[in-house]
Amino acid sequence: MTRTEQIAIGLGDLIGAEVRITGMASVGAQRATFFIDILDGTSTTPAVAQVSASVLGSVPASAEAAMLRLAEQVGVPVPDVIAASDDLPGVGAPALVVSRIEGRTVPRQILRGLTDDAAGESLARQCGEALARLHTIGEAQAPASLPRLSHTAYVDDLEAKLDALDDVRPAVRAGLAWLRANPIPEAPITLVHADFRNGNMIVDDNGLAAVLDWELAQVTDPMQDLAWMCLRTWRFGNDANPVGGFGSVAALRSGYEAAGGSWRADAIHWWSVARCAWWAIGLAGQAAAFTSGLTDAIMLAASGRRVPELEYDLLRLIADGPAD
Amino acid sequence: MIDRPDATVLLEAMAATLTDTVMPELSGGAQHQARIVANLCRIVARDLADDATDTTAALTALLGAEGSLDDLAAVLDHRLAAGELLDEALPLLLADAARRAEIAKPGYTDDTN
Repeated sequence: MTRTEQIAIGLGDLIGAEVRITGMASVGAQRATFFIDILDGTSTTPAVAQVSASVLGSVPASAEAAMLRLAEQVGVPVPDVIAASDDLPGVGAPALVVSRIEGRTVPRQILRGLTDDAAGESLARQCGEALARLHTIGEAQAPASLPRLSHTAYVDDLEAKLDALDDVRPAVRAGLAWLRANPIPEAPITLVHADFRNGNMIVDDNGLAAVLDWELAQVTDPMQDLAWMCLRTWRFGNDANPVGGFGSVAALRSGYEAAGGSWRADAIHWWSVARCAWWAIGLAGQAAAFTSGLTDAIMLAASGRRVPELEYDLLRLIADGPAD
Repeated sequence: MIDRPDATVLLEAMAATLTDTVMPELSGGAQHQARIVANLCRIVARDLADDATDTTAALTALLGAEGSLDDLAAVLDHRLAAGELLDEALPLLLADAARRAEIAKPGYTDDTN
C-alpha cells in the first residue's frame, strides 16, 4: 500500500466515513495538503486534509484545531475543523481535516485576480481587521502548547538557529546584534499567526475568504504579524504595494485600528528586521539540507541563493529606520 | 588556456535552451524545476564574473587582518556576536548584500523597501 492509500484509509477511520483523495494542493517540507471527498451515505463533502511529514517537530493537529476554533470565535475567517488527530491511524503523523473554501491561494493569481487598486486596498484592510480580531486572543486563552516568546526570547531563538547552521552569515548576525542593541518595550503578548501573508490566504471576489497555515502560531508581540505581512519578500515584485503586493500600509493600518488593534510603528520595524533574519536563516537552512545531502531537491538548493535578498532587505530596514 | 565557449557563455546558452526549448515541452512540477535550473544557470554565470574583491578589501580594512574572504567573514561574525563593530560594519555588509542580491536577482537593489 502506498503512503497516500494509507492516508486515505487513516483519514476515513478518523472521520468515520469513506475518504477519497482527489488531488494534491501542495507538498511542503513539513507537510502535504490533499483535496479529499468525504463520502457519507449519499452525500459527498469536499474537504482539505493536511498531513505532516512525521510526529516529530510538528505542531500537534489538536492544537491547530483549537486555534482555528478560537480564531473563528473572534471573527477571523478560517475553514471549519472537521477532524484532527495528533497521530493518524496507520500513518503515525498529525493530520487536520478542514472544510474546503473556494478561491485563489497562489500569490500571483491573487494579484492578477484583483480587478483594480480599490480591490487591493480592500483586501489589505480586511487583512488588518482579521489580525486585530486574532490579537484579541490573549495569552490566557491561547493554547497552552504554543510557545510564549518575549522579544529577548525570540532573538535568543534566532541566534540558536543561526549558530546551528553550518554557514557563516555576518549580515544576519548583524541583524541579531541590532535587535539586541535596539530593544522595544515589551507589550502584552497575544496569539500570533506568524505566517499570515500573500500565499497563506484564500481570496475570492469579496476579498479575504480564509486565513490558512497556522502551524507557526505562537504567543508573542502581535506587531510581528503586521511586520511579516508587509515584508518585501511577500510582494512578488509588486513593490509599489507593500502589503502582499496588493495594498498600502495605510489600508492595513486602517483595518487594524478600525477593528480595535493598536498600531506600534517602532515595534513593527523591529519585527520586520527580526522576521527578515528569521527567513534568511530559514532559507539558509533549506540550502544546508541540500548541501549536507539530506535532500536532492533543486528547489531547496535554489533557496540558498535567495538568502542575499533577505539580507539586503534586513540591512536596508536597519539603515532606513521605521517608516513613520 | 581556456576552451571555448567559456563557462559563462555555456551557462547562458544552457539557460536559454531550457527556457526556449525545454520548458515549453513540459508542464507542472517538471516545468517549474526547469525554470529553477535555468535561473540557477544565470546566477552561476553572474557569480563567475564576480570575485568579491571589494568586500575582501573592506573587511581587511575594518578588521585590520589579512585572510581569505571566508576567514574574514568568520572573524567579523564573531565580533558581531560579541556585540562589537555593528555600526562600523553595517555599510560594508549592506554593500556586500547588495552585490550578492544583484547576482541572485538583477535589479533587486534598484527598488526601495
